[in-house]
Amino acid sequence: MSTAASTVAASRNPYAEQAPVHPARFLHRLNPLGKLAAPLPAMILIVFTRDLATPLAFAVLALVLLFVGARLPAPTVAALVVGTPVGVAILGVTFGVWVDASRLDGASAAASVVLIEVGDWRFTLAAYLVGLTTALRVAAIVLLSLIAGLTTTGPELVRALVQNLRVPYRLGYTALAALRFVPRFRHELDVIRAAHRVRGIDTGRGPVAAVRRSISYAVPLLASAIRHAERVALAMEARAFGAHDTRTERIASRWRPRDSAFVALFWLVTAAIVWWGLLVV
Amino acid sequence: MPAAPLLELDAVRIRHSGATRPTPDGVSLDVRAGEVVLLLGPSGCGKSTLTLALDGLVPHAVAAELAGTVRVAGLDTREHPVAELSEHVAMVFQDPDAQVVTGSVLDEVAFGPENLLLPAETVLERAERALKLVGLWDRRDDNPDVLSGGGRQRLAIACALALASPVLVLDEPTANLDPAGIDEVYAVLRELANERDHAIVLVEHNLDSAVDIVDRVVVLDAAGRVVADGPVAEVLRGRAEELASLGVWLPVSTLAGMRLREAGVPMATLPLTPSELAAALEAVDSLPAPVPEVAERVEGALASARSASEPASAAHPPAITVRGCSVRRGGRRGPVVVDEVDLDVASGDFLAIVGTNGAGKTTLVQAIAGVIPAPRGTVDVLGMDPSSATARERARRIGFVFQNPEHQFVAHTVADELDLGFRLQGVPDDERAAEIERVLHRFGLGELRDQHPFLLSGGQKRRLSVGTALVAGAPVLVLDEPTFGQDRARASELLDILGRLNAEGTTVIIVTHDLQLVADHANRVAVMQGGRIIGVGPTGEVLAGPLIEAAGLRHPPLARATRSLVRHPEWQQVTRMSQLPRPGRAAA
Repeated sequence: MSTAASTVAASRNPYAEQAPVHPARFLHRLNPLGKLAAPLPAMILIVFTRDLATPLAFAVLALVLLFVGARLPAPTVAALVVGTPVGVAILGVTFGVWVDASRLDGASAAASVVLIEVGDWRFTLAAYLVGLTTALRVAAIVLLSLIAGLTTTGPELVRALVQNLRVPYRLGYTALAALRFVPRFRHELDVIRAAHRVRGIDTGRGPVAAVRRSISYAVPLLASAIRHAERVALAMEARAFGAHDTRTERIASRWRPRDSAFVALFWLVTAAIVWWGLLVV
Repeated sequence: MPAAPLLELDAVRIRHSGATRPTPDGVSLDVRAGEVVLLLGPSGCGKSTLTLALDGLVPHAVAAELAGTVRVAGLDTREHPVAELSEHVAMVFQDPDAQVVTGSVLDEVAFGPENLLLPAETVLERAERALKLVGLWDRRDDNPDVLSGGGRQRLAIACALALASPVLVLDEPTANLDPAGIDEVYAVLRELANERDHAIVLVEHNLDSAVDIVDRVVVLDAAGRVVADGPVAEVLRGRAEELASLGVWLPVSTLAGMRLREAGVPMATLPLTPSELAAALEAVDSLPAPVPEVAERVEGALASARSASEPASAAHPPAITVRGCSVRRGGRRGPVVVDEVDLDVASGDFLAIVGTNGAGKTTLVQAIAGVIPAPRGTVDVLGMDPSSATARERARRIGFVFQNPEHQFVAHTVADELDLGFRLQGVPDDERAAEIERVLHRFGLGELRDQHPFLLSGGQKRRLSVGTALVAGAPVLVLDEPTFGQDRARASELLDILGRLNAEGTTVIIVTHDLQLVADHANRVAVMQGGRIIGVGPTGEVLAGPLIEAAGLRHPPLARATRSLVRHPEWQQVTRMSQLPRPGRAAA
């Protein structure tokens, strides 16, 4: 049983040293800071765009980069290919419903195309287009952040932050240790829920009961979280954490020319897309 | 050879902030290279606190006042930070989960040396040596989460070794482990003790595992003062009665030896291990007959031991009937954790379910109690199907106590906690006060009625959780590993309560790893392995038979001593302390 568990775990342990990847999968070989810095201007600019073309172009760029440069498991590829358009289409409707109809250009052709009509309320094509643009902006930002997100592990990011950005290691490695709390607390919450269910005190319905329930879960969860955090802190200190101003880094995180090149190129493409977007409009 | 002591404690007094008296109180002792020291004492005497002072966590990281001096390799701990002291003293704590800070076994072991700013090659060298010593080198790329409890605790030992400190301090390293994990950890500790490279300071309630690797014992009394300090044989054998009266737990074999001596069996020296007990018994020409178990129980259970699917006992109606119950964890496509289980529990039984970690014990009892849904019609508790009953109906028939009692508490005072249960049962206002009073009194919580449940001591919390589970008057009580992480004194206090409830007619089911507790309290044992029940029967029979080993468990200490007896075949079935002859009934 244990060997089976270990092989499964070894194949998807994000903390372990990653197996070498094909050189073509270049995203894995870039510094995490570069992968974060490169799309950052684009992500900010997208917030201020109003057209359809610019976020669409950035979304396509991000997807192309991911498919070419990242080693992705098949389910992730499928989720990106199918999930992105479906998600945008659905999100477009929900955003579109909230659009203030009075602020739309009533004279445009799209405003006269009514998609759904319920009594006085009309959902026009114009409103849907506005919703679609918003959804596309959200999608583009998410996809751009996945360039770093899908190709970087937690330890890689912490190493880069500590070694290249000079973030204090006490902060970086403590955050990494705290990340390990998440699954533990999730399990703990499940157990607490079951324990309360057994006592028959989660029977109420409606939002008031839900809030009360959350509060009653919070007390035992917090109590055990604090105790756990204290224990981990003692264990870290007993192993000389914080003894010196720096600590040995077994694995160096380097900023190479290729990282500078990637960032520069990305910024150039960003500028080009934004310029093109302005021309199209 | 008068080498300088590695640890020097002089009149050490530690008072936790908020505590009225210091525990430990005035401890002076030296630890030298190569020594293996066992620290003993009743609960609350400050053993764990003392271990925290050995590498400066007290007073640097824990809010406590330290009086007297602790010197580590000649350094006063008050003047040197923990990080510096950790080069001389390495720690292993009780909870294996709370010591993991990185995401792979190798990173974990490297963490300490990296903090010490050693060159990367040295870090790797040390990590490799430490991991090979504890047998985890092949699993260096794994996430520590996938290791077993014993594996994670071995990892914690490797992390301590990688610091290359001459002193290793272990605070209850096996309290959270199953028997297999305990064996793994002690295999490593035995090797370390034999090498004599390290001084080892050990706090351990599981004396039966620890006693044969230790060479010196230091005993604290309830007030935290040193009452004994000397070689194992001298302290544990020579002053056993005195230690027992202080509330210090002794090895089961020693306790058995003391009882036999009182019963008139000649015993030159008290045994410390099962093999010594066996040798002492073999040395005697004639032994008094062991006290037979209550005959009626044996007969009733014997019939059902042959086939688990037959009704448990003709004399008692079944309280719980499980037929073909299979449960998956984590949804319809999750792994099968309980596999086609049949089980009968007669009302009035005290059933223990034993098995290694992952055998499906917890899932089975959760399905029985309706904590997780079982397939319809597979479980019957006193005529109710828990999977379709309401919480209130369930609470009237079956109470469930979780491993951590805190998880079940929702009110702000002890009395409210009980009140809540009564209110859910629809007990009228005017009757509730008297009922609450009755339960408070019964579980010894009368003076704590206005206390917040989270501020109770461990033992009190446990009693309250049992009380709340029984508020609705459930005739069946299920407890999931109620002794996990507790010392023996607290564990046996709880088991005594359960014994009383059982004597009054409550059917009790416990899941546990502690087979000696099972031997002493349960009348029936179900052994699980790989999601199936591989056998059910009366305690004595199961513990003396082959099922325990078949399930990958180890016999409890007393059974280990008696199973192999050649000269006294009638003693081979003796597994529980109550079977030992009582004083005055001994044969001449």
